[in-house]
Amino acid sequence: MKETMEEISLIEIFQTLKKRIWLIISITSVAAIASAIISFFVLTPIYQSSTQILVNQAKNEQMPYNVGNIQTDLQLINTYNVIIKSPAILEKVANEMELDRTAEALNNQIQVASEKNSQVFSITVQDPDPVLAAEIANKTATVFQREIKHIMNVDNVSILAKAVISDNPSPIKPQPVLNIAIAIVVGLMAGVGIAFLLEYLDNTIKSEQDITKILDIPVLGIITVINLDAEENKRQQPAFAAKIGSEKVES
Amino acid sequence: MNLRRKKKLNTTNSKFRSLITHFDKKSPISEQYRTIRTNIEFSAVDKSYKTIVVTSSGPGEGKSTTTANLAVVFAQQNKKVLLIDGDLRKPTVHYTFQLDNTIGLTNILTGQSTCDAAVKSSEVEHLSVLTCGPIPPNPAEMLGSDAMKKLLEHVAEQFDIIIIDSPPVLAVTDAQILANLTDGIVLVTKSGQTEYDMAIRATELLKNSRAKLLGAVLNHKDQKQSNYYYYYGNK
Repeated sequence: MKETMEEISLIEIFQTLKKRIWLIISITSVAAIASAIISFFVLTPIYQSSTQILVNQAKNEQMPYNVGNIQTDLQLINTYNVIIKSPAILEKVANEMELDRTAEALNNQIQVASEKNSQVFSITVQDPDPVLAAEIANKTATVFQREIKHIMNVDNVSILAKAVISDNPSPIKPQPVLNIAIAIVVGLMAGVGIAFLLEYLDNTIKSEQDITKILDIPVLGIITVINLDAEENKRQQPAFAAKIGSEKVES
Repeated sequence: MNLRRKKKLNTTNSKFRSLITHFDKKSPISEQYRTIRTNIEFSAVDKSYKTIVVTSSGPGEGKSTTTANLAVVFAQQNKKVLLIDGDLRKPTVHYTFQLDNTIGLTNILTGQSTCDAAVKSSEVEHLSVLTCGPIPPNPAEMLGSDAMKKLLEHVAEQFDIIIIDSPPVLAVTDAQILANLTDGIVLVTKSGQTEYDMAIRATELLKNSRAKLLGAVLNHKDQKQSNYYYYYGNK
């Protein structure tokens, strides 16, 4: 049993894309415009503020500074990351700042990140209000520094850099350019996909090849679309040319 | 006044559109119709195809326009051509040629008129037209009658070629009836409209008839896809 593989040439692919180019452009444009509208007018801009904390044993004149202490501090950072985001700290932050939000809500706003093999970690806060974001970050650092002494009986936390508000803060999200770029790519993919789907679903005769291949009868001829305006213009052109010619002769 | 003038212009435009082979002989589309005429003539190497029926699988595929223009290009060869409107359900030939339709094919078939009285001459030289006449309640029976067979035999003696416009194959049986009374069939397909399965079904039905299926005409194809046809027209 012979199996015939249907070949799809590059020309056919380009013809399909050319045929549905306006559909592809439309879908891409709609996606880009929708993304721009959502990014600029719908989504609330979110601002970010960070404070840095150093975990370091208090220097003791009798005890020399050694590598063991540093290792202990590094291991403590992972514990501190959890403690900072715990209700024990965040509830105090909310109460002291008189915020109308729960510790859980604050937890979702705060991110604690530490650099690998570094004694410094940062508390990053995201909020629609840039001033409030900085205040929450600073307050969390202050409360943590104060409370860790009671929680773990250690005094090895110091605030390295406080969160500051710039004169012209820019939001970290949404990122309109990135969103529009993603929308354009997705729109193009969707447009091309729909174009090929429509072509695949289109079961109409379009060319001479379709007639000879499907109907197995000869093609007697092809009649193209009658463009009435073009034909009218063509008919009027010789008369117009003759008129110009006669005027030239007379003059 | 303006409304009447506008209406007249529209009528002229639609007439020009339908009979482009007569009103604009040098147009690329007229050249395409002449190509079809030549190909039909080439099909008749072994046998003379005197009566040709033009049909399509479904409605609105341009068979009436194709029939009219085909009749014109055959007449331009100084052949005596008779165009018969065999579509007794939705006749259009009298509109295309702007002829009176009070007496036509149905009058001949019912014995109310003679062939000579019903056949009208058109503004195209060597082209005569037999319009549909009053629309009957039983078109299929009329087309399949002995009177129709005798009529075709009679006009075949008087004319060099008879072209019949017929209804769509899949819609009604009229086209199949006419196909059994004629020598050749031309199937009109419309680019981007005629579906594969409809065209296949129409082809199968027509291949079972007495007449030979000469081939298909691909109508309404986009100009961009067939630029090579525009060699003559734009010179």
